Amino acid sequence: MKNKVWLILKKEIRETFRDKKSLSMMLIIPILIPLMVLGMSALFEAQMNEDINEYNKIGIAYEPTEVEKEIFKNLGIEVVYGEVDDLKEKYSFGELDLYLTKEDTVYTINGTEGASTSYASKLVESYFVAYKQFLQSEYLADKNIDPNEVFDIIKLDRNIAESNNYFSSYVTVYSFLFIIMAITVSATYPATDSTAGEKERGTLETLLTFPIKSRDIIVGKFLSVSLSAAITGFLGLILMEIALYLSSNWFTVFEGVDLTLSPLHLVVVSLVIITFSLLISGLCIAIASKCKTFKEAQSALTPLNFICFFPGMIAFMLDIESSVWLSMIPFVNVTTIFTDMTNGIVDWLDIGLMFLSTGVIIFVVLWLIIRQYKSEKVLFTN
Amino acid sequence: MLKVENVKKKFIKQTGKKAKEEFYANKGISFEAKEGTIVGILGPNGAGKSTLLRMIAGILEPTEGTIEYDGMTHEKYELAIKKSLAFLSGNTKIYNSLSPYELLKMCAELYEVPEGEIEKRIEEISKTLGMEQFLYNKIENLSTGQTQRVNIARCLVHNPKYYILDEATSGLDIISSQIILDFIKSEKSKGKTVLYSTHYMEEAENICDECLMINEGVVIKRGTPEEIKVFTKTTNLRDAFFKLIEGVHDEK
Repeated sequence: MKNKVWLILKKEIRETFRDKKSLSMMLIIPILIPLMVLGMSALFEAQMNEDINEYNKIGIAYEPTEVEKEIFKNLGIEVVYGEVDDLKEKYSFGELDLYLTKEDTVYTINGTEGASTSYASKLVESYFVAYKQFLQSEYLADKNIDPNEVFDIIKLDRNIAESNNYFSSYVTVYSFLFIIMAITVSATYPATDSTAGEKERGTLETLLTFPIKSRDIIVGKFLSVSLSAAITGFLGLILMEIALYLSSNWFTVFEGVDLTLSPLHLVVVSLVIITFSLLISGLCIAIASKCKTFKEAQSALTPLNFICFFPGMIAFMLDIESSVWLSMIPFVNVTTIFTDMTNGIVDWLDIGLMFLSTGVIIFVVLWLIIRQYKSEKVLFTN
Repeated sequence: MLKVENVKKKFIKQTGKKAKEEFYANKGISFEAKEGTIVGILGPNGAGKSTLLRMIAGILEPTEGTIEYDGMTHEKYELAIKKSLAFLSGNTKIYNSLSPYELLKMCAELYEVPEGEIEKRIEEISKTLGMEQFLYNKIENLSTGQTQRVNIARCLVHNPKYYILDEATSGLDIISSQIILDFIKSEKSKGKTVLYSTHYMEEAENICDECLMINEGVVIKRGTPEEIKVFTKTTNLRDAFFKLIEGVHDEK
């Protein structure tokens, strides 16, 4: 005799893989992941190049010394000379990134807060550091003091381990969050179809006349939804790895950084994908089972697509690290574990707690659905 | 033997935005169905026939009363009872993305038909019901009549002892209806028990050994078609039904 869970699983897999909509939901978002990784990398690269080349048009409302002119030249600053009003007008038309005015020894950087002014301001600050150092050296030399003795009065050594490239963390974490989103979308459709959809089509009544326990029906459906979600997750992971490899090689913004995941990290991510697929499948089935129609279930599941994505995104943006408590909070734990991992930390206790808490949630959710399927209410809500 | 005793089913009906009202679809129905008999459950739409048959099939739970199959109840022997019966209604839907062969194989496996017998049974059934032509086509591409034949085949695959057929011919053309009626007669001849609900009185008169006339959740008359006709002094079950309803209305 064949196991009845296996028979239900086989039926569900057949239905899912023969349904074009389910298949497209499984494949669409993973295919978008490489596009997103490469797109983001290209954007960062363009931004980095723009910093030097684009935001360097500085207006000067005074006559600079030869030394100042030399520093401008060395820093690649493009100087536009003019009266204050003239420079102000040019700045308002976007012809300048900011302009400098001078009264005695007081220099003023003029502009309005914005991306171009901010980049240009940093460039001008470098110029003033250099110019100030030159003036200080000259002053000390006049007093017969060796400037190096003053400047090197204390020494500062940097002993800070090189942190991950900011852009690389951004790209890897966001592509991981996209995998999470892809898993959710992939689980939503088959979960809706195999519960509310089956109810609406009238096949659930047929299924309930078979000599099969509610537990076997639910476990079969749950495994089938989890399988399609996990397939999406692993497809997303493969495409993410390929895209990260290409980005590492194509874009100078990631110079010296290996974006691809190590074998240990791949194992951890695979475990996270499996855990999340099981969790999201259980939740999708639980919500969709309560609905009478496919449409109603789809509306009910829409918030889940946001809930799965935003806690993780916020945790990443706030740079929240994994902890014992966070490891037990669904949706947040997967991102904190992944973020830790990109920072070189693999904490098996946190990973274990993630499994444990997810296991408990799945067990409770499945128990509730099985109870619902044991009652006639699953067919006749009212 | 199937024994139904004082079965009641209560539903909650939404009567207004917040107002709800209880009502009984079945108000204490009792009857027995012996082996090798066809028991007709007759009545108009809304009489409570489908609710009764769904309770007998174990899809709905009775609010009160008991249903016993050879002394076994759904509460204690759910799987054993389900293995011994087949439920088919005019609304029964099957999996459109599967082929009849895949569906029959799945059903046979779910009903625990021995592995070695499955292929033989599918072959026999598809020959009997003339399904060889479309056995491997997807069900979604079949006509209504062909789909209903697949549905009958699904009921036959595990060789059940009891058949519960709810308006199984409703909406079908005369050829498809005849296939179902022939199937019922042939199963009866094999000693199977058939519960057959319909609102087509003529159909019931032709095939039923015993009839239960139901109106508003209550059995208004029980007996063989002949007994009912004699009792109501009519020549057919249709007229008999109207006469019985008049009586009920007069009593009210």
